[in-house]
Amino acid sequence: MIITLLVLAVLAYIFFTGGVPLLLTILLDFAIFSIVTLSLNLEVGHTGISQFGRVIAVIAGAFAVGAVPGRLLAWFMGLPHGAEYADDAVNYTVVPKLTELLASSVVLSVAFLLFSLILAAVCGALVGWLTSRPAIRLKEAYLGISLLAFGDLMMWVGHNWEPLVGGTTAVFIPDPFRVVWAYRFPAAVGTALVLVFLTYVLVRRLTKSPFGRALNMIRDSDVAAAVCGKDMVKLRTYSLMIGSALAAVGGAFYVIYAGTCTAVGFTRLTWTFWPWAYMMLGGIGSDVGILLGVLVLVVARTLILINRTTLFGFLMAWGIDPMWLEYALLGLVIIVVVLFMPHGLVPAKVEPVLPVERVRQVAERRPSEQPDSA
Amino acid sequence: MAPWLASGLVYASALALTAGGITLLYITTRTFNFAHASMATWGFYVAYTGTVLYGGSPYRYFPLSFLFGSLLGVVCYVGLNRPLLRRRAAEITLMMSTLGYDLVLLSGIQIYCDYLTHTFRLFPRRVTMSSYDAEIFGMSASPLILPLTAILILTVFHLFLAKTKFGISMRATIENPLLAGVSGMNSDKVYLAAWVVGGGMASLGGAFMSMAMTGTPVMGMMTLPFMFAGAILGGLYSLYGGILGGFLVGLAEYGAVYYLAMLGGPWVLGYRMAIPLLIMAIVLLVFPSGLAGLPWGSLPRKLAGAMRGVKS
Amino acid sequence: MNINRLYAGYGKFKVLFDLEMEVPANEITVVVGPNGAGKTTLLNSIMGVATVFSGDVVYQGKRITGTPPHKAARMGISYVPQMGNVFAGLSVSENLQMAGYWMGKNELNNRVDQVLDMFPVLRQFIGRKAGTLSGGERRMLAIAMGLMRTPKLMLLDELSTDLAPIIAKRVMNEVARLRNELGITVLLVEQMAKRALEIGDTAYLLVSGQVRFRGKAGDLLRDPELSRVYLGIKES
Repeated sequence: MIITLLVLAVLAYIFFTGGVPLLLTILLDFAIFSIVTLSLNLEVGHTGISQFGRVIAVIAGAFAVGAVPGRLLAWFMGLPHGAEYADDAVNYTVVPKLTELLASSVVLSVAFLLFSLILAAVCGALVGWLTSRPAIRLKEAYLGISLLAFGDLMMWVGHNWEPLVGGTTAVFIPDPFRVVWAYRFPAAVGTALVLVFLTYVLVRRLTKSPFGRALNMIRDSDVAAAVCGKDMVKLRTYSLMIGSALAAVGGAFYVIYAGTCTAVGFTRLTWTFWPWAYMMLGGIGSDVGILLGVLVLVVARTLILINRTTLFGFLMAWGIDPMWLEYALLGLVIIVVVLFMPHGLVPAKVEPVLPVERVRQVAERRPSEQPDSA
Repeated sequence: MAPWLASGLVYASALALTAGGITLLYITTRTFNFAHASMATWGFYVAYTGTVLYGGSPYRYFPLSFLFGSLLGVVCYVGLNRPLLRRRAAEITLMMSTLGYDLVLLSGIQIYCDYLTHTFRLFPRRVTMSSYDAEIFGMSASPLILPLTAILILTVFHLFLAKTKFGISMRATIENPLLAGVSGMNSDKVYLAAWVVGGGMASLGGAFMSMAMTGTPVMGMMTLPFMFAGAILGGLYSLYGGILGGFLVGLAEYGAVYYLAMLGGPWVLGYRMAIPLLIMAIVLLVFPSGLAGLPWGSLPRKLAGAMRGVKS
Repeated sequence: MNINRLYAGYGKFKVLFDLEMEVPANEITVVVGPNGAGKTTLLNSIMGVATVFSGDVVYQGKRITGTPPHKAARMGISYVPQMGNVFAGLSVSENLQMAGYWMGKNELNNRVDQVLDMFPVLRQFIGRKAGTLSGGERRMLAIAMGLMRTPKLMLLDELSTDLAPIIAKRVMNEVARLRNELGITVLLVEQMAKRALEIGDTAYLLVSGQVRFRGKAGDLLRDPELSRVYLGIKES
């Protein structure tokens, strides 16, 4: 509660000093990383999978949106749409024409946006299914490392295979928000917040449903879950597919908003380790906590970024870029959480299936003295 | 010597040391040490700083790299690992804690690079250490000296484990910490020793690695999957397996990349990250206990069986 | 040794509740009880392996609650666990060497000789890995390791597991001899209750983490109700 007030106070401070654009930047970061971290929490906090390759699904979404919808549009327009679409010289001339087309029609823009997000979700679910193949049989640490290596591989594929998303150069993405011209930025942020809201509602409903309780069961004891007739393989696969689809939407929205998709931007640091830090700070398994954790850290990062010349001027004198302190911040957050607050800001609560009153009634019905074991 | 083999041997020795260190830390403290990445990079920068600022051959500064790595290991153990072990933290928690430590170290590396650039007008972000290499018999010395050094270090470590009392107590604690405790051995000391040796091996491995490839602040971070692949190939529970595994992964990577690039063109180079993944996939699916648990006699039959299984 | 109002367990899990126990010097105290009664946890909490929530373990007038295992070992308490009681990857001689870890070199060699005299059969396996020994040989090695530390107090957990009945009997007699000749205090936890109660002096019956019976070992053996229900001993 205190932290929430504190964060709101800081947000107000940012609003008055930095103005609307800064506030919107923070909200956008908050929205995108909330989606990714909520999806991570579904897999880690609720299902107990050591997902050290969150970047895989994010890349799937981002690359899909970078490669496919623009090409389709170019194909309708009779513009170059093959492998050469991703060539930077061609891409540079083609995409502005596509953006112009989108800007001419609200319906087309919305359709383009929806199509991109759905495509990303499908691709995410696909890689989720793919990663679920090893995930159902490997031990936690093995799985984490395999997924980590796979995420790196995905990034390098994007970096080296030019026809996909331009390789070393960025591929541009037609802008569905150009249709609202001057309000492009607020519109994007608004859409992102709507997506967060939808993700949050979806995750909450899922985890409160029988499906979610079954997930918690296999997290706590897969043997007990199997004995109760829960199919562990199926549940873990679904959890990974849903989580990855959500993360892919996050990645897709990020590239749509940015207007470009650069493969090397999708590092494990930004898209796996930061979401882990957000999740650990917020509280693993606690969905409200996740939102708070993301908000706190995004605000902290932004504050460091905007005040870096004033706060860390003494470093600049040595030629040191205060940007590197971000790594230290990330590392320290993880260390402090692990050592001193293992349950995070908002510890996950055990939520009884029945109302508390009803549980108490059932408990009272039990005979007080157990029969002798003879 | 084939052109790839020279740097391949250096790189393989580096991976043998780092993968051995990862295995050592895992079998003693149950910790998958992510900080191996930046510990390796620090080892490289210690050797680099010495060579550039104080002159001489880089080899002179390798012992310093080892010591610095040990220091980083001790800090990690005392500040982070020991409190968590006492709390009987889960494996995944231990792993996350070293990830945090790794990022702090990475931040330190980047800051140090900026400092070097600003104060000494150096270019520490892309370093070709092999240009400082000495020559033996008309060729660069590192493909000869470094594998031999690695073998020497590992032999000394082996003798330490096999013959000395503390070495035997280390093996005893690895095998059965509870019994070792009730026999009067202080597991704290054993774990501390593991971090001293493991951290030192990581940093020395990083210094080795910079003789085979371009040294950058993210060198360790980029090669971390390869180190883990080596440890997994070794079976994770056997120290010697981990060392051998790292060596094989290194040779396989350089050999495969070289020959595939000759066949298919230089574009292959971009996809080397597929190699550790492939190795890990094969190990985990075909022989989950790694090299150490391999039934060497019946292997061909088992492989044939696995092939049939894939087809059907 | 005394145990006062002990609550112990693992992590957040309580296994022992309000346990009061006295282990008189130079005697064999036997703890019997069904599976899951907390017998092993009792030994683990004396040794500092299990978590103690409240209560005290007093040994030679000193409070040793929460002492780490290696310190307790150096105070003359020697623990032979039920499972994993030898280092399988180490040779028999290395095992014995490890058991007397903090001794000087001469003392160690003398002690190894004395212990091997007690278990001569171990001499022929001296260079072999402990993992290749049979169950009975391992158990003997484990006891030999326990004796290496010249203990004042021995905690023995389930001595008779893995042993052929005839060897089990011999090992039990060996325990009785330790008390008679070396004056060692023994706390013996045993499923094979009958034989243990025969050599024991004091007996405790532990059920669900609480003491159900305390008294002379023979009395428990003769109590028809308790011995039938909990120990499976038929009335004779």
